Amino acid sequence: MKLSTKGRYGLRALVDLTVHSSKGHQPLAQIAERQNISEIYLEQVFATLRKNGVVKSIKGAQGGYLLNVEPANITVGKVLRILEGDLSIVDEKVKSDSEEKSVAQCVYKNVWEKIDKNINELVDSITLEELVEDYKKNHGMLPHMYHI
Amino acid sequence: MKISTKGRYALEAVVDLSYHAKDELESLNSIANRLKKSKNYLEQLFVLLRQNNIVVSIRGSQGGYRLAREASKITAGDVVRAVEGSLAPVACLENPDVKQCCSDYEKCVTRVVWKKMMDEISIVLDDVTIQDLSDCFDKMNKENNLEYYI
Repeated sequence: MKLSTKGRYGLRALVDLTVHSSKGHQPLAQIAERQNISEIYLEQVFATLRKNGVVKSIKGAQGGYLLNVEPANITVGKVLRILEGDLSIVDEKVKSDSEEKSVAQCVYKNVWEKIDKNINELVDSITLEELVEDYKKNHGMLPHMYHI
Repeated sequence: MKISTKGRYALEAVVDLSYHAKDELESLNSIANRLKKSKNYLEQLFVLLRQNNIVVSIRGSQGGYRLAREASKITAGDVVRAVEGSLAPVACLENPDVKQCCSDYEKCVTRVVWKKMMDEISIVLDDVTIQDLSDCFDKMNKENNLEYYI
């Protein structure tokens, strides 16, 4: 049971973009280098994020990406759903199959549905801003350093 | 991010076993028939369940399976972990040696998110016992029977 690299790398790259975008838009190559992720792969991820309005691209030789939303207004849940699709731990098919009276239905109601609910509540409660604050704390980037 | 059929089928099979094997042994054939799953596939899962002390098997013509302990003492988490292995949504949470998989392990903020996700999965799985699930099925059957008599 694994998240795909799309969700994992995408969220990491977005945190990186947000942390560094105080210096203006960020070329993908720099995000890729800092996060040790293939630039070609990140291009696909950012294309998806751009289509969904999370980032916007600045074209040109000096181009790059900017966040298109307030970090406080976008949750980890929104980002992961864009990149991973729905976050259910079981296929849609399991849900419909379990509608008949069966052991599967008991398991679905008492286990899988609850896990889905908890995970969705969890990721919807964490904003990009919180991750960025944690990142700055972990990397010794104190708030006053911005004003230097 | 999906749980595999291993985890799902194993959990359903153990609940079925618990419900039907009150005092006697239950054959894998019966379980497979009731759940409409492949017996061969269930057999593979039951090897893991046996190794992890969830079920015991008795050989012979009257042989079969039963739970290794009371249903109230086996959680859904015990069963799912026995067949799925780790419940980590990312590899770097799986073993202590993972620090090599990422140079930023200690400071990684997304790792904390994945860890919280894993905790949510464990909280639910470890809170539900096979007895709870078997009781749910029992109740469902009784409700069904009531409907017939109306």
